[in-house]
Amino acid sequence: MSEKKLRIMVIDDENIVGKRLKPALEKSGYLVETFEDGETALARYDEEPFDIVVTDIRMEKVDGIEVLEKILAKSDRTKVIIITGYATVEVAREALSKGAFDFIAKPFKPDDLRTIIKRAANELRQ
Amino acid sequence: MSHNHQRESGEERDAVDDLENIPLRSRPSISIRARIVTSFSLFILFCFAITCWSYWILSEMEKKIEFLEIVGKYMVEIQQARRFEKNYLLYGTNLDDALMHLGTADTILKRHSRTIRHILGAQHLKTIMENLSEYRKQLEMVGRTEREAAIQSLEPKLREYGGQMVSFADEIVKKEQKDVARMLLLAKRGPIFFVFVLIVMMFFVGNALIRQLMMALKRFMDYTKRIGEGDFSPIMPARKYRDEFTSLAEAFNRMIRELNHRQEVLIESHKLRAIGTLVAGVAHELNNPLNNSLLTASLLKEDFHTLTDEEKMEMIDDLISETERSQSIVKRLLDFARESKTSIKSLDLVEIVNESIRLVGNQIKLAKIRLDVDFEENLPRIHGDEQMLKQVFVNLLLNAIDAADKRGRVQISVRKDPESNYLLVTVKDNGPGIPEHLQSRIFEPFFTTKAQGKGTGLGLSVSQGIVRKLGGYIRLDESTQDGTSFTVSLPITYSPSEIMSR
Ligand SMILES: Nc1ncnc2c1ncn2[C@@H]1O[C@H](COP(=O)(O)OP(=O)(O)OP(=O)(O)O)[C@@H](O)[C@H]1O
Ligand SMILES: [Mg+2]
Repeated sequence: MSEKKLRIMVIDDENIVGKRLKPALEKSGYLVETFEDGETALARYDEEPFDIVVTDIRMEKVDGIEVLEKILAKSDRTKVIIITGYATVEVAREALSKGAFDFIAKPFKPDDLRTIIKRAANELRQ
Repeated sequence: MSHNHQRESGEERDAVDDLENIPLRSRPSISIRARIVTSFSLFILFCFAITCWSYWILSEMEKKIEFLEIVGKYMVEIQQARRFEKNYLLYGTNLDDALMHLGTADTILKRHSRTIRHILGAQHLKTIMENLSEYRKQLEMVGRTEREAAIQSLEPKLREYGGQMVSFADEIVKKEQKDVARMLLLAKRGPIFFVFVLIVMMFFVGNALIRQLMMALKRFMDYTKRIGEGDFSPIMPARKYRDEFTSLAEAFNRMIRELNHRQEVLIESHKLRAIGTLVAGVAHELNNPLNNSLLTASLLKEDFHTLTDEEKMEMIDDLISETERSQSIVKRLLDFARESKTSIKSLDLVEIVNESIRLVGNQIKLAKIRLDVDFEENLPRIHGDEQMLKQVFVNLLLNAIDAADKRGRVQISVRKDPESNYLLVTVKDNGPGIPEHLQSRIFEPFFTTKAQGKGTGLGLSVSQGIVRKLGGYIRLDESTQDGTSFTVSLPITYSPSEIMSR
């Protein structure tokens, strides 16, 4: 069962999020790259596409919704998971209606995210 | 010389200050009513006195005229007597006629003795009576003696008495005539003088009363203006005594207390609204350090046995710093929200503005506003209440954020006004501006164009109250379709009392 490792991109302007999620997700067998702003992340995506994008919704300049829209425009195969700081029904609904795979509200445990990513991975592998 | 003068006016000011410190209740009472009643009584008393005087002088004149008539009749009689006396001595005519006239003269004197005594006094009446009886005695003596012999021996005496009698009466008549003329003049001039005095009196008394009333009214007009501008310190007129205006001042002070209380309630309720808005942002912001802590702690536990000590230490440091970050976020909001008595302190305005910016930080991020700050360095300090000032700037910033489009721009600057002793805080946005016809209403309490539940319309009205209380002012600099700019001016002060005395 030596499948190709899935590539995950984590975007959050809180650098601790990337710092912790990178080893946590790598441990689960993914290739992980972290970014602190949407622009560099999108630029990197253009170089090399990712399978799963985990992005914070609220960031300066380019925010999560924009990242979602741009990435889905490039490839609708990519699963985008939105991190919200302040979960409201509207934000969630907006994200989902724009094609996000799922959303997760801060604060969350690594396992909460792993579960969602696993679901996404399963869908990708089908 | 001029120095001296200045000192004097300084002392005068001290006296006024002292007066202002006497509580209204404990000032002696001199009511306007009492003052009006007193001045009217004075007029009436004066009129009464002058009437009495006129009555007296006229009746005195009446008596004198009556007296002059009597004396006139008496004179006629004695002159007749003397004519007959001369006729007798020259031609030997009848002496009885002379005696008869003397009798009549005597009757006149006796009948009017009271009037005469009143005018001349008992002494002169006696002299007249004596003169008359002496003359009569001589005349009778002449009648009894032989005519030739009488002429020889008695004529000089007779002449003497007769002459004395006539000249005395004559003198009296002249004197009394003069008296009457004098009194007549007095009676003529008295009323003119009286009217003159009355006019002068009315002018001064009336003027003083009117001036006092007008001054009091003007003072109260100034008070209403001051209160309207949001100065709710009690009024203490600098006057020595109490009157109806003092009661009015007390009523004003009650009203001011009531207004002040309401103002405080409005400030508080607007603050609660602002806190409500900020809380959403703070909750959002708080989730970041919480999330960082939760992720870090979870992974520390998960990989506890595989992590190096160094890695563990780094994670623990992160936990500590993220917890401290949460603490400061909560503390900032609590500092703003905590209910506390107004306390005027020396403040660094830039710090207050920075704190206000941090409070609305999440709203700025959420709306993706670009905030530019421009603070002059080494600004002097001001005095004020920290929470209230933050409330003012938070409202201006929230208004600006609401107005600016998404991705809009807000500028905030703090600088010293080069022309006055004020610090100026300007908040500028690039929103659509306030329509001209609404610009005059934005400071009204409850005026809002925002959706129900979004704005109370208290922000600017409350801010104005707060800033005025600190001796400053807040104004709309300009509002066009390219944006709106508000400026708050606060006086540079070196002691809290400077604000109070403004
Ligand atoms: N920067 C601005 N740009 C455009 N309009 C403004 C601006 N600031 C204030 N206004 C107008 O003035 C009105 C009154 O403002 P104010 O701060 O007193 O109340 P509010 O903001 O509506 O309510 P609250 O402050 O309680 O949230 C606002 O409703 C808005 O119409
Ligand atoms: Mg407002």
